[in-house]
Amino acid sequence: MPPIVLLWRNLWRRPLRSILTVMSLAVAVFLICGLRSIITTIRAAADNCDPRRLAVMSASGLFVELPLHYQARIDKVPGVEITTKFQWFGGYYRSQKNFFAQFAIDPETMFAMYPECKVEPDAIQRMATDRTACIIGSSLAREFGWKVGDTIPLVGALHPHPEDKAWEFKVAGLYHSDRPNFDNRTLFFRWDYFEETLKQGGVPPAVGVYSIRVAPGADVAQVIADVEDVFKDSEQRIDCTTEAEFQRQFQSMFGNMPLFLTWIGAGVLIAILVASVNTMLMAMREQTPDIGILKALGFTDGSMFVLFLLQSTFLALLGGGLGVFGALATAPFISAGLEMFAPGYAVQPGTVVLGAVVALAIGPIAGILPAMRARSLTCIAAFRGE
Amino acid sequence: MLVPLSYNLRSLFVRKSATLLTVLGVGAVVAIVSGTLALQQGFHHMFTTGGRDDVAVFLRPGATNEGDSQFSRDRGLKLIKSVPEIEIGPNGPLAGMEAYLALLLAPKRGGVTNVPLRGVQPVTFEIRAKEVRISEGRNFTPGHDELVVGARLVDRIENCRIGDVLTLNKTPFKVVGILDHDGQFGGEIWGDLDRLLAAMGRYGPNRVIAQLKPGIELGSPDPAKALFSDEPVEPDEGTVAARLLKDTEVPAKVCTESQYLSSQTVMLSGMLVFIGGGLGFIMGLAAIFTAMNTMLASVAARTREIGILLSIGYRPFPIFLSFLFEALVLGLIGGLVGCVLTLPFNGVSAGAMNFQTFTEMAFAFRVGPMVLLVAIGFSIALGLIGGALPAWRAARLRPTAALRRE
Amino acid sequence: MAQPLIRLKDVTKTYTRGGETLTVLNRLALDMEEGGYFALMGPSGSGKTTLLNLIGGLDRADHGLVAVAGEDLTVLEGAALSAWRARTVGFVFQGFNLIPVLTALENVELPLKLTGLSGKARREHALHALELVGLSDRAKHRPGQLSGGQEQRVAIARAVVSDPKLILADEPTGDLDRASAEQVLTLLDKLNTQMKKTILMVTHDPHAAQHARTIVHLDKGQLGRIEHNQPAAARA
Repeated sequence: MPPIVLLWRNLWRRPLRSILTVMSLAVAVFLICGLRSIITTIRAAADNCDPRRLAVMSASGLFVELPLHYQARIDKVPGVEITTKFQWFGGYYRSQKNFFAQFAIDPETMFAMYPECKVEPDAIQRMATDRTACIIGSSLAREFGWKVGDTIPLVGALHPHPEDKAWEFKVAGLYHSDRPNFDNRTLFFRWDYFEETLKQGGVPPAVGVYSIRVAPGADVAQVIADVEDVFKDSEQRIDCTTEAEFQRQFQSMFGNMPLFLTWIGAGVLIAILVASVNTMLMAMREQTPDIGILKALGFTDGSMFVLFLLQSTFLALLGGGLGVFGALATAPFISAGLEMFAPGYAVQPGTVVLGAVVALAIGPIAGILPAMRARSLTCIAAFRGE
Repeated sequence: MLVPLSYNLRSLFVRKSATLLTVLGVGAVVAIVSGTLALQQGFHHMFTTGGRDDVAVFLRPGATNEGDSQFSRDRGLKLIKSVPEIEIGPNGPLAGMEAYLALLLAPKRGGVTNVPLRGVQPVTFEIRAKEVRISEGRNFTPGHDELVVGARLVDRIENCRIGDVLTLNKTPFKVVGILDHDGQFGGEIWGDLDRLLAAMGRYGPNRVIAQLKPGIELGSPDPAKALFSDEPVEPDEGTVAARLLKDTEVPAKVCTESQYLSSQTVMLSGMLVFIGGGLGFIMGLAAIFTAMNTMLASVAARTREIGILLSIGYRPFPIFLSFLFEALVLGLIGGLVGCVLTLPFNGVSAGAMNFQTFTEMAFAFRVGPMVLLVAIGFSIALGLIGGALPAWRAARLRPTAALRRE
Repeated sequence: MAQPLIRLKDVTKTYTRGGETLTVLNRLALDMEEGGYFALMGPSGSGKTTLLNLIGGLDRADHGLVAVAGEDLTVLEGAALSAWRARTVGFVFQGFNLIPVLTALENVELPLKLTGLSGKARREHALHALELVGLSDRAKHRPGQLSGGQEQRVAIARAVVSDPKLILADEPTGDLDRASAEQVLTLLDKLNTQMKKTILMVTHDPHAAQHARTIVHLDKGQLGRIEHNQPAAARA
């Protein structure tokens, strides 16, 4: 065994260099954890879906709407417990930069189907009595400072108001979900208000997505097959999938972006590995006389190998630990910043493990070359400073 | 008196492994940043080439993009007739209606994606005679269930080759040609307006485009600016845009095509610049640390030499400059390595979601002069910042102390 | 006469430098008995340091026998050689060769880390060794905070702390002023006379060599004359 005291002391031999190395390792591990967290957060949305919920949309894509009367036909399929409908409103509050999702919904069935969307009983009550009522996500309320009783005017970019003015929605309450599949930045309002207002302008309303909950005991695959069968000769072809699959499909539309994030992570890894090898070689060059002394005193070649491997592992673990800690500590701030693109950003335990593994791996990999040199160096060469 | 530059250059060469590793580290960082920037440039290029100032885009008031907008066929025709600024061609006004839809297709990377589907009238090809061409096969025949597919889609999306059949809802359409356009149309599927509307069960086109008579100014406010303003942005009184917006028959929001396209890019473009900038800042820190480490080691190893330089009469400032120069060269070589790593990506096509319309846009990485310039500038900055402290340390050494140390 | 502690027979060592083969030691034969105090003298390039390194097991002879304390160093390798060094030899070098990041006490303690001693016992031994060289009050100082003479005395403390039979000193006074050099030489005398350590010192300083009882002259890799000397310490 090499003298362990040297691990710590050599770290402070060139404090600035050690700090810089630890910091750059910390930055890299932080970045890798952050990039992975974005990907896992996006994936978590799909992974947390209730496996008994299905989505029905047009086979031609989200742009194409489904007729209203499909709901009654879905309801009749054996094994369907509840059906509810969503329509994308596509409006904006004052300016396009204030982007958030709005959906017209049936409150009763929607709340029954999404228990993760927690709403106070009072709010449900107010929602039932006021036609223009809406409920808004807790993050959305915080972002715009909206509270119960406020009126939110939305410009109907996709669904213009027949009187050529902004739609107005009265906040009946807030909802909150702590599941990653249901974000907290959406506004839900009543379907009947939506439908009646559109009809005033002579536009027939249609449905974006129908959501189905399969009854306990019913076979999900069978229900999917049956639903698709019902509409196989109807005017709009439909696509019925589990909600998880629906989410995954939606995410696949992000295109090659997740792949780019992975590339960036790989680039970061290479950059930091190269930098660590560099530092360890510098350290080894500087400690060459020490290697000579230690070997002359009777420390073995193997123990010198271990000494350098440990030094580099120690540095990497310090930096990596700091990086993982940084990723965890900044998660709430990043989460707030990414609310729009990756709601519910969180650093998963798996990501912490990944950061730790990266840190653990970088150390020995960066240290192996200097460690091998330290092992093969003879005392005489060391004293000559070779 | 300045320290000879060859002194520092030789030192970089003598310390081969440290120089090489630092250069590689800086190179990787520069490659990450310039790669992201190349993506943004490709995206920006795609949307801005082909954006014409003499083509007007008419949307329904309140709509933010063509996906939101909607005109019935009658109102579209009425609109075209009511605008005297539209250029007249041999077959009547150079104005056409377009439907903007999306088709759920399977990209070769797996999953699904919404590919933009555009229904156009023959007049569109008159307006775009110079930009859009059919590079393979032939154009679709009006009134038939035929499609032409954007060149950038062919290798990325299943079923997009000539002879393939794409099913729109329930109607099979045959792919008869490849459409080539440097701009966004190269990532779209085009077909006959009326056939597309019928097949997809839609009742009207989404927007009207028209070529303007020479010298016409629309006076529309920049929609890209409107995206970030807190209040709605109205066109100035007396302009064509104001007149059309307040039209009693068919009110419309009008802007030039260039303006429209820049409003469509601003969000994703901004996001990519933000990501690139953020990565550049964070990774730049790491790269600066690396460069600084190398230079510190270099100064430490040459303490004696610096002592000799000082004792034979060199002033501290030239010594500072000479080490800064060394760091700059280190950064610059790293930047060149980064550029070399990024160059192979030039032209590689990628897809990303347009958050404004939820459709996929196909575009290619674009490693242009701008990307290379930023990469080189960035690497020089890395070298200078990383080298400043070590160079200052070198200059501050006292000759006696420098000589005494081993 | 007792069994010699160091037995050299036919020892040859060559170096290749720039394509040229240089014979540093040429068929050297020499015995040194236990308890002796030897000085190796000779001009630069005569092979003094090479010989010292061979005897300390830091370098290997091309040819011949190097037997020290009953071990044939030409066959001993790797960990066994390291263990032998730790047990048998203490080194004192010209450049002091302390580890700069460790305190005087920690430097002295280093060789004991290779023994089975407890931490407490190690510290006691190390303090004792520092006391022997008169530097107990400098235990917590780093090498950089010590004078050259003090550093060399710490190195001597480190060389004796594990109680080796043989102390090898390579120009121990080479970098020191006269007063410090005298202190170091007095210490070496003490190790030889009171602690019965065998000392082999390479030096080119005739004054330092006068402290040894046997002065061996080397010239061009071959044995020169051997002087027997009434050492200064004994004279006093």
